[in-house]
Amino acid sequence: MLSAILRRSRSASTDNHAAGAYDDSYYTAGQLALIKARFMKKTSGLVAGFILASLVLLGFFAPFFSPVDPTINGANPDYRRGAPQWVHFSDENGFSWRPFVYSYSKEKPKLDFKALMKNGGGLDALDKLTSSGALNSSSQNKYLVNKEQRRYIQFFVKGWEYPLLQIDSLGIDIRWDRHLFGVEQGQIHLMGTDEDGKDVFSRTLHAIWVTVSIAIVALIVKLFTSLLVGGVSGYFGGKVDAVLMSITEAVRVIPPIPVYLACAVALSQLDLTPVQRYFAIAVVIGALDFAALGRRLRTHILVERNQDYVLAAQLSGSSHLRVIWRHLVPSFTSYIIVDTLINFPYVILAETSLSFLGLGLTEPVNSLGVLLQKAQDPDIQQNMIWQFFPVLVFVALIMAFVFVGDALRDAADPYSERNK
Amino acid sequence: MTEFFAESWLLWLLLGTGVGLWLGGRRKAWLRYVYHRYVMALVTLLTVSAIVFSLMEVLPGDCAEKYIAYKNTQGVVITQADIDAERARMGLDQPLPVRWAEWVSDLALKGDLGFSCAKRQSVNIALGDRFWMSFGFCIAGLLFAYLIAVPFGILSAWAINKPWRDSNPQHSPVRRQLNTLGLSLAKLSDLTLRVISYLGLALPNFLLALSIILLYVFAGEATPTGLFSDAWKNEPWFADSGFQWGKLDDFIGHIWLPIFVIGWAATALQLQTVRALVVDESNKLYVDAARARGVDGFRLWARYPVRHAISPLFNSVGFDFQRVFNDLPIVAVVIGLTDAAALLIEALAMTNDQELAAGILFLVALVVIVMNFITDIVLAAIDPRVRSSVMGAGGH
Amino acid sequence: MMRTEPQTNMLEIRDLCLDFRTDEGIVRALDHINLSVAPGEVMGLVGESGSGKSVTAKTIMRLNPNNAIIQPGSQLWLNHNGERTDVLALRGRHLRTVRGGAVSMIFQEPMASFAPAIPLGEQIIETIQIHLGHDRATARKIGIELFERVGIPMPEQRFDQYVFELSGGMRQRAMIAMALSTRPKLLIADEPTTALDVTIQAQVLELMLELREQLGMAMLFITHDLGVISKIADNVTVMKRGEVVEAGAADSVLYSPRHDYTRRLLDALPKMDRLPEPPAHTPEPLVKVTDLSISYPIAGGAKKGELFHAVRNASLQLPRGQIIGLVGESGSGKTSLGKALLGASPVSGGRVEYLCDEHGYTLGGKRKPKRQQIARVAQLVFQDPYSSLNPRMTVRDIIAEPLEALKLTRNRAETDERVKEVARLCHLEVSHLRRFPHAFSGGQRQRISIARALVCKPKLLIADESVAALDVSIQAEILTLLKQLKAELGLTILFISHDLSVIANLCDRVCVMKQGEMVEEGTVRDIYLNPQQEYTRKLIGAIPLLDQHRLSADKVPDVPLPAMELERVRMGYQG
Repeated sequence: MLSAILRRSRSASTDNHAAGAYDDSYYTAGQLALIKARFMKKTSGLVAGFILASLVLLGFFAPFFSPVDPTINGANPDYRRGAPQWVHFSDENGFSWRPFVYSYSKEKPKLDFKALMKNGGGLDALDKLTSSGALNSSSQNKYLVNKEQRRYIQFFVKGWEYPLLQIDSLGIDIRWDRHLFGVEQGQIHLMGTDEDGKDVFSRTLHAIWVTVSIAIVALIVKLFTSLLVGGVSGYFGGKVDAVLMSITEAVRVIPPIPVYLACAVALSQLDLTPVQRYFAIAVVIGALDFAALGRRLRTHILVERNQDYVLAAQLSGSSHLRVIWRHLVPSFTSYIIVDTLINFPYVILAETSLSFLGLGLTEPVNSLGVLLQKAQDPDIQQNMIWQFFPVLVFVALIMAFVFVGDALRDAADPYSERNK
Repeated sequence: MTEFFAESWLLWLLLGTGVGLWLGGRRKAWLRYVYHRYVMALVTLLTVSAIVFSLMEVLPGDCAEKYIAYKNTQGVVITQADIDAERARMGLDQPLPVRWAEWVSDLALKGDLGFSCAKRQSVNIALGDRFWMSFGFCIAGLLFAYLIAVPFGILSAWAINKPWRDSNPQHSPVRRQLNTLGLSLAKLSDLTLRVISYLGLALPNFLLALSIILLYVFAGEATPTGLFSDAWKNEPWFADSGFQWGKLDDFIGHIWLPIFVIGWAATALQLQTVRALVVDESNKLYVDAARARGVDGFRLWARYPVRHAISPLFNSVGFDFQRVFNDLPIVAVVIGLTDAAALLIEALAMTNDQELAAGILFLVALVVIVMNFITDIVLAAIDPRVRSSVMGAGGH
Repeated sequence: MMRTEPQTNMLEIRDLCLDFRTDEGIVRALDHINLSVAPGEVMGLVGESGSGKSVTAKTIMRLNPNNAIIQPGSQLWLNHNGERTDVLALRGRHLRTVRGGAVSMIFQEPMASFAPAIPLGEQIIETIQIHLGHDRATARKIGIELFERVGIPMPEQRFDQYVFELSGGMRQRAMIAMALSTRPKLLIADEPTTALDVTIQAQVLELMLELREQLGMAMLFITHDLGVISKIADNVTVMKRGEVVEAGAADSVLYSPRHDYTRRLLDALPKMDRLPEPPAHTPEPLVKVTDLSISYPIAGGAKKGELFHAVRNASLQLPRGQIIGLVGESGSGKTSLGKALLGASPVSGGRVEYLCDEHGYTLGGKRKPKRQQIARVAQLVFQDPYSSLNPRMTVRDIIAEPLEALKLTRNRAETDERVKEVARLCHLEVSHLRRFPHAFSGGQRQRISIARALVCKPKLLIADESVAALDVSIQAEILTLLKQLKAELGLTILFISHDLSVIANLCDRVCVMKQGEMVEEGTVRDIYLNPQQEYTRKLIGAIPLLDQHRLSADKVPDVPLPAMELERVRMGYQG
């Protein structure tokens, strides 16, 4: 990375005369600014970055963007297992500038108890009933759409109250009750509802932030452990280095998911609140993932420690602490930022894998892993295909992360600018 | 005497190899390096065993409880005192390091992975050939990943340095258009391939497996799950009517699913690695120098950047295996495999079978370490760059 | 220019314009370049970094990166086997004409130009097979013959070795063998001797001259060193920032330059007839080095505790207020010695005494002085102006570092005042202090490095190859600055260099080192004109110099030199 800038500055100093003066800020740009400038040239990275930013924003301000309370409080008892409601602008009754959805009503249950009785009851009759499909779950979510009754979509509607800013320690608790959109009466379920009547769309939006924040916590913990292992190993060297690195090497060869699993099983023995569990999972994922980054940081410090400018600082009379703080630490910050972003999808995948096995977060918490877990339910596979909506969001999120990471890696790569 | 050696055959094998390498290393630099790596590998294995063993301590319950619980189901009434007595009998009241030392010594002497209390049989027997089944899946998945990632990673590396359009004023307008078309096609196919391969990463394995099964369900066909069913196992390979093609057909019809699922996910990472390595090499001066000598086209790429990028790729096979195995347990759950990965999930999440889980994790780590050892020494033997860097410095 | 008839020219470049598409827009790299090379002619292409000389060479071989645009109207013709080829129109297989077929190239860094994982011979056989179509056995025979011809001992064995197994000089010879393997008509040599030690440089140059005599090929010889050009070129083209500023026969360009820029380049060459006067008396020494030995443990050596002796029993005195040159080829231990003076090399024997009144101390004794104590007296100016400045700190912070680390100032305002003062002293603009180092060119960076060294008012400045990475004209500026600082501040400077020309222009005294031992020591005049030791004689003889007779003919020399000595200097190079 360093050499990239050197090369750039070398060419810049000679090209300067030929092409006239550039913007002054170019010269004073730091390493991150250079990476950013190169990143801006990657179309795929930019598009992915845009999608990523929108998803994360949607997740962060989920209460504002979701029309329905995603918890059981907001569950719609009148619309359980309901299909997505399509937004219309026009139908046979005419065109409307305001988008609308239809209202719905529950179909009368087909269970014909009279018939049951008439056949004299007994198991034969019950068998017949079962085979008729009346008890089939697919027929349980039949709703009649009333096309005559439109529900117009409104913007900035009042709805359930949610905390806008909540800092318990300071006693700040600002609450708001406005939402981006909603309908006049009843609720709007863009992506349908689940078996409890909870809105899938709203749940998904809330789940994004839970999943991303778990990844953030995990990555911070990971960074901390990696820095500790890599930094101690790289700076002190010798025996400390040898011992730490052999442990790191051993951790590196053990597959992580089973290890997470073991820890998650142990956690499940403890009596934890969902919030504690949430942090515990994040800490476990982060703390055990130090091997790769720790190793790389160690190598980086070993290389950087022998750079001329570090020797220059030492010869200027700088103390060890000053050398570490002023020279070594800044030298790998940009590297860490890039690495962290690239690792996001892997951490998210680890969380989802745990949740999928029922050992990570569990209902009623909304995380993408929890929502994805439902996908293995045959009932949902066959009758509530709209509950696969979180899967789409998840795939989009991971893809966006991967492409952003890819573009970032290229942007941070010293060679990328030579041939373009 | 024979018994003594039979009881500790593994230790003698390990020691013998070590001494042999040490003796050979005094004359040949390469063997000295092999010896060095061999010792390092043993040290790593020991560390791994310690980590795995202490990790299993966090799982709830222990052998005594399970054994007594089993007795309980047989109708015996038990008390806490019974459990404690059983614990003392099994040596479970000893401190962790002592129990670890015992476990390791059994392992190092005769390759005994311990006794699984939940299954009430030796771990070696409980595992049987299931570990090799998992091993086979992982290797096949890796091969699948390499087969896709290597050619397309190279293509991607080639395309990354190309512009989207040809704007060389030396070219005639028609040729510029044609070149632009070709370049756009190459860039587009690169982009498509990257999207597809990253999709393998973004779709978690279990979702991918689920989606495929769902497709079968919707199409109304039998799902390709249930590999190695009893019916299949009981069918002989060779019947009176000659080779049973049906059995092979059935085998292939089922085996592709796990391989495809874990292979696809591994492809994304491999593709990134291959691309980065080849791009790195192709920017080096010697490629320009080769071009200046008239080496061009396929030959240039195959002999220069690609050939030089192969070594680091080969070197990472061990860790690739670890990554692939990492994904296998969940896939095994979804598509109902009966291999070691499924056993691992069962042992960890359901039966809390510490001994079995530790045994499987240790075996996986062993495979990774052996692979790393082999790739290291092979590279030191065949790649002159590695040879000069490791041997010149006395094997460090 | 010594124009021959156009159609007999082997290579003709007319109005070559080339732009690079970069992040900052279009940058012109070559601006209407005209150049021609006749068969058998050696054309010297001279210029500093960024002048476009390497780009020109790459354009001839069509090796430019994707972002290079050759503008319409540019012409590049190659006359080869009676055919006139438009090089810019070549495509596909036909490119082989300029890539190895009729033209081949010697690169500056032979180490990086051979593929590391393929034996040298394999690469040569491949080239021969592509261009001459021989079978493997024949190609191998030709290759080994070539190795023999370029003076590689034991060619059979060397042929199957890898590039990193050869020494620097051998690598460049192998590179030459590779370039010759296709029997080119035009050989492009891009700084082929720059990375080599001066004695090896002389051998390689001699080899190239010999080959040219025997094979009669034309050569485009690219370098920044006019001394080398004077030995080899018939005609010279001088380039600056993508333009040709002067062209003509070597004699006229070198001995009666018309362009200011050419004159500046020539000034950098040592003038044997105008070596500096030795100082009238030798002042008291500031530093006394007695029997100094430096040894490093060999990493992973066959036996534990095996040591590599970088310096053995070196003794040296640095008189106050003088510039002392320390000369040696690579591996001579000169850098280790310099660092030992700063306490940054492991001293295994002998001692270094600093004879200052208040801050005096001894290295290699029982008590190791503190880092801070040394930093107040002696400072280092590094070789690489790029890696020695922390890219993440502003220039102000870099210069202020010693002040802050040693806590020499009371407050920030005082620090700033001192930093500005030093910046002015080193001709740095105060308004630039807020910028980051990558905004500066190599020369400016080296000024920053010097400013950092001077900010805590040290007595001794150690300059370790401090101008080696710089262009000749910028070297001259830095040397002037050092001389000025010596005069103004009474600094003692130890100037470590492999470049004898620089030493001759700068120093009062010279020490010569060879393989960790001190060979000879004396005033510049003594060493350059009357060397006592065989090694020194060889070293001095290898400096590529202009013909002193012809130079002296134009100007009145300050001190006339015995003709015999001049003759020896020239002969020493040739033989």
